[in-house]
Amino acid sequence: MRDYRRIFYPDAAINLTANASADGGHVHAVANFLAEYASWMLGCGATCIRIVKNTRRMAQAFGVGFDILIMPAHVYVSTWNEEGTEDYVAARKVAATGISFNLNAVLSRFSWEVADNHINLNDATSRLKELCAMPRTPKLEVLILASCANAAFCRLFGGDAMAMLVVLIATLCGFALKQFMLARKRDQRLTVIASSFVSAMIGACAGVLHFGSTPDIALATSVLYQIPGVPYINCISDLIDRHYLTAMWRFTDAAITTVCITIGLLAGMALLGINWF
Amino acid sequence: MDWSEILLGVVQDGFFACIAAIGFSSISNMPRRGYLACGGIAAVGHALRYVLMNKELVGMHIALASLFASLTIGLLAVLISPRIKCPAEVCFSPALLPMIPGMYAYRSIEATIACMCATEESVFQHYIYLLESNGLTCIFIILALVIGANLPVFALQKLSFRATRPGAYAHQK
Repeated sequence: MRDYRRIFYPDAAINLTANASADGGHVHAVANFLAEYASWMLGCGATCIRIVKNTRRMAQAFGVGFDILIMPAHVYVSTWNEEGTEDYVAARKVAATGISFNLNAVLSRFSWEVADNHINLNDATSRLKELCAMPRTPKLEVLILASCANAAFCRLFGGDAMAMLVVLIATLCGFALKQFMLARKRDQRLTVIASSFVSAMIGACAGVLHFGSTPDIALATSVLYQIPGVPYINCISDLIDRHYLTAMWRFTDAAITTVCITIGLLAGMALLGINWF
Repeated sequence: MDWSEILLGVVQDGFFACIAAIGFSSISNMPRRGYLACGGIAAVGHALRYVLMNKELVGMHIALASLFASLTIGLLAVLISPRIKCPAEVCFSPALLPMIPGMYAYRSIEATIACMCATEESVFQHYIYLLESNGLTCIFIILALVIGANLPVFALQKLSFRATRPGAYAHQK
């Protein structure tokens, strides 16, 4: 597992040294495993209520007491044995995996497998490694589907066929740039600005070259494939479940992405000298 | 009332919402088995909103219509998610995206910049009105969407959080 992300609480570490036992080893190992699991769940975009339920389910299967603290950039898992003689807190940085519905689904299913089948900790740890290394949807498939989706989005907003075509091309180019920059580990916000800028420039062509009768819809829709819908939705889920801190984190993160989209859009319009206001 | 035109509108709306939901779900690494369910849920939700908003049928405000549509989406997601072994929010998140009020958001930004550039008070007031009108509508639609879709998940927690349990639908295998 990713040892470089491991943070030990000094007090807990002292406690462990003083009371080293087989039971204590189990308590530590379970805490580390659950913290690792929770960090991947949070990274892939699971809601707090799901993370809490899944990790609690596995902790019960491993026979330890359990609590979890979910912070914007870290998760803290504390575990203890029945007698209360051993306890431990493990912390992990949130895994930088990007939103992944597939990982969310397989990790949720995995928590049930651990709970129902009483999988031992070593097997569970190696299985978690395998699951987290699962490949994502091929980039080309995503590129094509996302471009078609944004063109359909344009139609839903009342765009005509020409506007849909322009949006399709704008999304293809903007999204390809986004994939290219993210693959090279460029800053996420800079990536959003750059890809919005490219999409807006192409989207604005409908107006500049007088394609179709709805150029404003083509321009407005060309950047919408970047809207961070999942964080906005998860934010409300966290609010309902009283995870106010993570809700605010998700909202702020999504709001910053929205601002970046706007910056790219306005920069593209300014460069082409478009003034439809 | 031209029923054939309304029906065509409903079908078109559902079809494009379906494509949009599938495409947007692929960005978030949706498992392939979930594409159809997610697209279907989006189609039903969006078509319902279309019907509710249609002036010749119900004529509901877009925010209220979005609330009913998102409640339907959330409920369908909770019911369908155990069959595709995915959490409910995985099903409804992409289905909500085609209903995101992108044009209202765009018009709000447009009005904000126009306000900034206005040199006369009457022009400024006009754009402030547009900003508030579009901005408030946009905010209320988003709130209606996310609250409406999340409510069934919290109301039916037993069903929602057991969706990924292996063997939950073993009799169907």
